[in-house]
Amino acid sequence: MERRLDERRFGELLEESDDLQSDAMRTARTDLNDYVEAAQEARYAAERDSSRWVPLAGVAAGAVGVAALASASPAYADTATDVMALQTAASLENLAVATYKTALTLPFIGGSSANGVVKAFAMKTQAQHTEHAAAFNAAAVRLGGKAQSNPDPKYAPVVAKAVPTIKGPADVVGLAITLEDVAAQTYIKNVSLVSTSELRQLFASVAGVESQHRAILLAVQALLKGGAPQLIALPPNAAKLPAAAGSVGFPDAFYPTRMASPVTEGAVK
Amino acid sequence: MIRRRNRKNDEMQISERELSSMTRELDTLHQETFPAVRTMLDGLSTNLVQVTRAPAARRNFLLGVGGAVALGAAAACSKNSGSGGGGAATSTTGPSATAAGSPYTGDLRVVALAAALENLAVTAYQGALTMAGQGKLGAVPPAVATFVRTAMKQHADHSQAWNAVLSKAGKPTITGAPLTITDQQVAMLNAARSVPDVAKLALSLENAAAQTYTFAAANVSDPGGIMTAATIQPVETMHAAILYFVLGEYPVPASFIGVDNAVKPDVLTR
Repeated sequence: MERRLDERRFGELLEESDDLQSDAMRTARTDLNDYVEAAQEARYAAERDSSRWVPLAGVAAGAVGVAALASASPAYADTATDVMALQTAASLENLAVATYKTALTLPFIGGSSANGVVKAFAMKTQAQHTEHAAAFNAAAVRLGGKAQSNPDPKYAPVVAKAVPTIKGPADVVGLAITLEDVAAQTYIKNVSLVSTSELRQLFASVAGVESQHRAILLAVQALLKGGAPQLIALPPNAAKLPAAAGSVGFPDAFYPTRMASPVTEGAVK
Repeated sequence: MIRRRNRKNDEMQISERELSSMTRELDTLHQETFPAVRTMLDGLSTNLVQVTRAPAARRNFLLGVGGAVALGAAAACSKNSGSGGGGAATSTTGPSATAAGSPYTGDLRVVALAAALENLAVTAYQGALTMAGQGKLGAVPPAVATFVRTAMKQHADHSQAWNAVLSKAGKPTITGAPLTITDQQVAMLNAARSVPDVAKLALSLENAAAQTYTFAAANVSDPGGIMTAATIQPVETMHAAILYFVLGEYPVPASFIGVDNAVKPDVLTR
């Protein structure tokens, strides 16, 4: 009974969230378009400048692709870095989508024995990662790069190795925390690496969302490990939550970047 | 109640112990992270000292950007105000400007704004603890009390970091919350009569801070400043996610953190 109530309320909240998301997506698309235009302007300007000194730079660009542009001019290097960063981001998102999709096939995440809140969270989070991948790929393509449709090559084997060992929801949550954390750290680091204000905003914008996923997963993990899965409910029974549950979701005052993936990691070869 | 936070619930003794252990581990992680942040901030300080010695450099940061948020309205409408930026009543107030005689210009004005916002958050959380101690908020669950104390500490860390930058740049540090919105926020806190009232107010502050840092990450000139904003923004969004959850709302309501409700530098009164 309690679970049905949770699921109904969750459904309502997801509808509200979808409305918000539509608004946010419109903003994100505007940001994305601004970014692409800014990056293209920088690229054309660089093309003009470099053509004064290296007449064939434009031809070379078409022939050898974005990566080779890195040696043509600083702006080309910026564009190449931008494209690779976007492709790597898309690869991390692709892996997250695939992982949540797999998780939802498990009975204790998406099946009859699943906690309704955890199941709804997994579904919604998968959808949000899909949107992130689409945004990153759209920017990469508009900058002359290829869309990245594959998962991150470093972490895909890690997930593949972990999946057969999954025994319960805590294993899934632990895996998801790692992926969300790597994505957040990568995007935070990318904020300092990309070439335009608009792209910095895009990466920061998504980093904040991955961090929120991680915060909730950390709280869920703590309750699972603490033997209190019944407290994973929406709204929560706050009075029964252990005191430490109030802080376990945000362990750092400053989000670290030690685990950030390099921009080349998921770039299209 | 907070004063009775040590009371043990038999059902939760094991998880409480395990969770406390996890929290200690995470605190250790935090302490390991902090030196790297210090290094980043030292770089920012050095750069900004150079900037302040070069008149007119980077004076135009954030000029011409509209969209100051009415935080009080945001709190009242928190159900519809996701981190993505929807819902909260906003007012476009035109180009921001440096207050006459202000010691803070360019990137340093954003640093000062950030310090003031962090202080405002500390003030709000400290006020909530005081009111809880006086019994004005009804029963306060232990987890909520822990949230308030931990979030307050992290905001104090953020404020300290930003103020260190100001200090090293030869500027006065920000004490209190010299913002045009502070009185309104304090009044709303004083009017709170329950944990959800306070949680809604805190949520609006966290969302506004997160959006301000998102905007700052995109628009600050200094690389150290960009990264400092970028590493603090996710922490504010994490606070927000937990607050959404406590309020019974979906904890990650938007796929992208917006900037429509970012707080403008001209809200700073110094």
